[in-house]
Amino acid sequence: MTSQPPAVHPLPWANSPYSIKRHGLSLTYCASEPVQTPGCIQDHGALLVLRLADLTILQASENTLQYFGKAPQDLLTQSVAVVVAATGMARLREMLQHDSLESSALYAFTLPAQHGVAALDVCIHTNEGVVILEFEPTGRLDESNGNDAFSLVKAAINRMQTAGNLRDFCQNVAREVRSMTGLDRVMVYRFHADLHGEVFAENKRDDLPGWLGLHYPESDIPQPARDIFKRIWIRPIPHVAGAMVELVPLANPDTGRAVNMTYCALRGTSIMHTEYLSNMGVAASLTLSILVDGELWGLIACHHYTPMHFSYRVRSACELLAQVASLQLKAAVHSEQLRYRLRLDNVHQQLVSKAASVGDLLVLSDGEPTLLDAMDAEGAALFHLDRWWCLGRTPNVAQLDALAIWLHERLEFESSTRPVFATDKLASMYPAGADMADVASGVLAVRVSRLRKDLIVWFRPETVQTVQWAGNPNDKPMVSGPNGPRLSPRGSFALFVEQVKQRSVPWSPTEVESALRLQLLVMEMVISRAERLAEVNLDLTRSNEELDAFAYVASHDLKEPLRGIHRYAHQLLESSQAQDTENRKRVESLMRLTVRMDSLLDSLLHFSRVGRTNLEYQTVDLNEVVEEALEMIGVRRVENHCTVDLPRPLPTVLCDRVRVREIFSNLLSNAIKYTSQIHPLIEIGYVAPQEHGAPALAPLEAAGHTVLYVRDDGIGIAPQHFGQVFRMFKRLHGRDEFSGGVGAGLTIVEKLVQRHGGVVWLDSLEGAGSTFYFTLPSAEGATT
Amino acid sequence: MIRARPILVLEDSDEDYQTVLDAAKQYAVPNDIQRATSGDACIDMLRALADTPQSLPALVLLDLNTSQSDGREALLQIKQDVRLRAIPIVVLSGSVNPRDLHFCYSSGANAYHVKPVHHALHLLVLQKIFDYWLHNVVSPFEAESAP
Repeated sequence: MTSQPPAVHPLPWANSPYSIKRHGLSLTYCASEPVQTPGCIQDHGALLVLRLADLTILQASENTLQYFGKAPQDLLTQSVAVVVAATGMARLREMLQHDSLESSALYAFTLPAQHGVAALDVCIHTNEGVVILEFEPTGRLDESNGNDAFSLVKAAINRMQTAGNLRDFCQNVAREVRSMTGLDRVMVYRFHADLHGEVFAENKRDDLPGWLGLHYPESDIPQPARDIFKRIWIRPIPHVAGAMVELVPLANPDTGRAVNMTYCALRGTSIMHTEYLSNMGVAASLTLSILVDGELWGLIACHHYTPMHFSYRVRSACELLAQVASLQLKAAVHSEQLRYRLRLDNVHQQLVSKAASVGDLLVLSDGEPTLLDAMDAEGAALFHLDRWWCLGRTPNVAQLDALAIWLHERLEFESSTRPVFATDKLASMYPAGADMADVASGVLAVRVSRLRKDLIVWFRPETVQTVQWAGNPNDKPMVSGPNGPRLSPRGSFALFVEQVKQRSVPWSPTEVESALRLQLLVMEMVISRAERLAEVNLDLTRSNEELDAFAYVASHDLKEPLRGIHRYAHQLLESSQAQDTENRKRVESLMRLTVRMDSLLDSLLHFSRVGRTNLEYQTVDLNEVVEEALEMIGVRRVENHCTVDLPRPLPTVLCDRVRVREIFSNLLSNAIKYTSQIHPLIEIGYVAPQEHGAPALAPLEAAGHTVLYVRDDGIGIAPQHFGQVFRMFKRLHGRDEFSGGVGAGLTIVEKLVQRHGGVVWLDSLEGAGSTFYFTLPSAEGATT
Repeated sequence: MIRARPILVLEDSDEDYQTVLDAAKQYAVPNDIQRATSGDACIDMLRALADTPQSLPALVLLDLNTSQSDGREALLQIKQDVRLRAIPIVVLSGSVNPRDLHFCYSSGANAYHVKPVHHALHLLVLQKIFDYWLHNVVSPFEAESAP
C-alpha cells in the first residue's frame, strides 16, 4: 500500500474508459479511483444517455432488458421514444426547454408498470452535452406512502431547532433522520480543519456498538468523493453488495469520453467505498451532505445492516432535511465559534484583571482560571521572571528554552501589531520540534514583553495521539475484508499515521485572535502598572520630602520659644529677685528642662531622618570605624579610666560607614555611661557565621550572618527590661542618674541596624554587665 | 575714626533680637545695630542705603524663617544686586535642615550658624560672629577707603 499513486505504471484503464466492474479490484490507491465516471450504475434502476440535440439513445445500462423488455443493442441509436413513448418524449422536450436541468436532476414522469416491472420514476438532467435519464421504482405515485416529504420534514425541523448547542443540534439531526428513514445507524460526521473526520453525533439501534467520538483519517473519504458530496445533497446505496451494471458502450460514441455521473442517483458505487462498508457489515447506506458557506462541513452518514429500499418520499425528505440542516448548522457553527471566542476572551479577561490586582503575571499559570481553561490545548507555558511556569503537557525546560530562542527570532514576533506565531507542524519548521512532537506539534505563542522576553505559549500534541481513531488496532479488533485489510479502517489508519505524523489540530482564527487579544491585555496591564508605579514613587518621594521638611520646621519652630524661655530664665537668675536659694533652684530647673527639651527635639529629628535617608553602601573595615567611634565618644581619654579590648581584628563588611559608626558610638557611650565601675572594661568583637556557638539569645534572623557585639561590665539590665531599652525615649533610670541622656540612642541603633537588613538584641546580667549584639551584611561576594 | 558701619539684623523674634543686642553690649560692639523683621523690609533698607555706599552695613545677620518674605528671599535679592552683594551675610537660624545649609551657601551666604537654645551658648555664638566678622576678616569696604 502506498501513499502516492504509482507514477510510472499507467492506470489499467488508461486506454479505455474506466468501469468499476472491470477495473475496481485493481485499485490500490483510493484517491485515484475515477468516482465521477464509474462506467457503471447500481442495479436497482436503469439509465439512458441521450444526445441532447435529437434525444437519440447513445448509451444504455446493460440491464435494460429487465426494465424495458429491450436489450441495449436494440435501443442504441434509437430515439428515446422507444422507451418513454411519444408522451414521455414530449414531456422531456418541454422540460429541456423550460427547466434548468444542467447538473440538477428533476423528476419528469412515471412510466406505468409493464412487463411485470414496477412503475418507474424517471429523472432527467443534462451534463457535459448529454441528457441522462434515470429510471427507478421509487414509488413516487404510490398513494400508500402517506405524508408528502414536506410535511414530514417540517415536523422534523421543528424538533431539530430546540437544540442549545452545536452538538445537541447534530444529535437532533441524527435522531430525526433515523426516525424518517428507519435506518439502523445515523451519524453526523464532522470534518476537522485537517480534513480528518469525527463521528460528532449518532443515533442507532440499541444493540449496535456506538461509534460516537471516533475519528477517521482524511483518506477514508478522499478528495474526489468530497468533491462529489459538495455538489449533491443525497447519495443512496440501497444494496452495497448489489451487482454493478455497466453502460453499453462504456464511452459516449459521439465524444469517445466516459459519462460524468456526478449527479446520478444511480451512479455506480466506488469499489473502495462498498468494500469499506461491507468490511463493516453494512448492507445499505444513505449519505447526505452538510454544507456551510459552500464548504463540506460534514456528512450525515446512514448505515443499514440489510439491503434497503429508499423511496422517493424518504429521499426527498432527506434531501430537504439536509438542506435545512445545513442552513441551521451554519448559524449554529457561527454561534458556537462566537461562544468559544467569548469564553476565551472572558477567561483571558479574568486572568488579566486578576494579574492586575495581584500585580503579577504568575496568576496566569496558577490559581483559577488558568491559561488552559479556555484554550483547546493540552499544555501552556508562561515565561516570566526569567523562568518557565508550565501547565498541562509541555516540553521540558531545556526544550522550552531552545524553542523560546527560536521563537524570538521569528519574523512574526517583529510585528508590533500582531506578535503571534501559530503552527500545526512545528517539526517541519523547527528540526528540534521532532523530539517533542508528542506534546508540541502545535504551537501558538504570543510575546507579552519585548524587553524581558516574556512569552505565553500553548501546545497541542500530534493529532494521532489525541483522538480515538476508529482504525487504531489498540481500540478495535482487526477488521479484514475479502481483499485483505487494505480498505478496512485499520488499513487506512496505518497510512494515515504516516500522513499526520508531527502534525496537530490546526489553530483556528478564533484561537489566534484570542491569543492576540490576551497579549494586548497583558501589555496594557504591564504598561498601566509601570505608570502607576511611577506615580506612586513620585508621590512617595514627594511625601518623604514633605515629611522631612516638616520635621525640620517643627523642630525649628518648637525651639524658638524654647530659646526665649531659656533666655528669660537666664536673665531671671542674674537678677536680684532670684537670689534666694529656693527660687534659684526653680529657675535652674526651668533652664535644665528647656535644654532637655532641646535634646529631645534633636533626637526626634535625627530619628525621623534615620529611617528615611538612603544608606550609602561601601566595603568598610570595621576596625577603622570602631577607632573613629572611640575617638568621638572619648572612651580612651585618660579621665575615663576605661579599657577597650578587641580580642581579634574585626571583619570588613558592606555597610554605610557613617551610620555604622553611629551604631558603635551609641553602644559605646551607653557602655561607659551605665556603669558603676571605676575602671570599666569594654570588649568589642564578632562571631563569624560558620563559627560554632551562636551568641546567646540570638534570634533566627541572625543565622548565617556575622554577629558583632559590644560587651561591658556595667550595671546590666534586668531581663524584663530587655525589650524596653529599644523604645523611643524610654529610660530605665532617673533622669539625672548616669549622666542623663534622652533615651533615643538604642532606638536609633535598632533603626540603623534594621536599615542595614540586620537585627539587634542583647544579653545581660544585672550587676554584671550587658552585651549588645547586631548583624550586618557580610562583604563577601559584595562588589568593592 | 570714621563712624563704624551699622550691623543689620533680620530677626522677627523679639527675644532672639534682644539676645543679639545683649551680645553686642557684652562684647562692646561699637557698631549701630539696626533691625528688620521681614525679608522685604531688610531689602528695602539695604536698597535705601545703596546710594550712599559708605553707609551700607558692615554685616547682615539673617534669620531664615521670618514671617512674610523670609530670609532666603532676602539672601537671593542681596546677592543678585551688584551694589549689595559684597556685604558679608551671616545666616543665623534655628534650622539644621541640610537643604537650608545647601541653599544658603550656594546662594552666596558667607557663614551659617545654628541658634542654640541654651542662652549662654547663644551669646557665645554671637560674640564669636562679631569677633570674626568685625575684627578678624578684612572687610570688603576697606578696599574703598584705602588711599
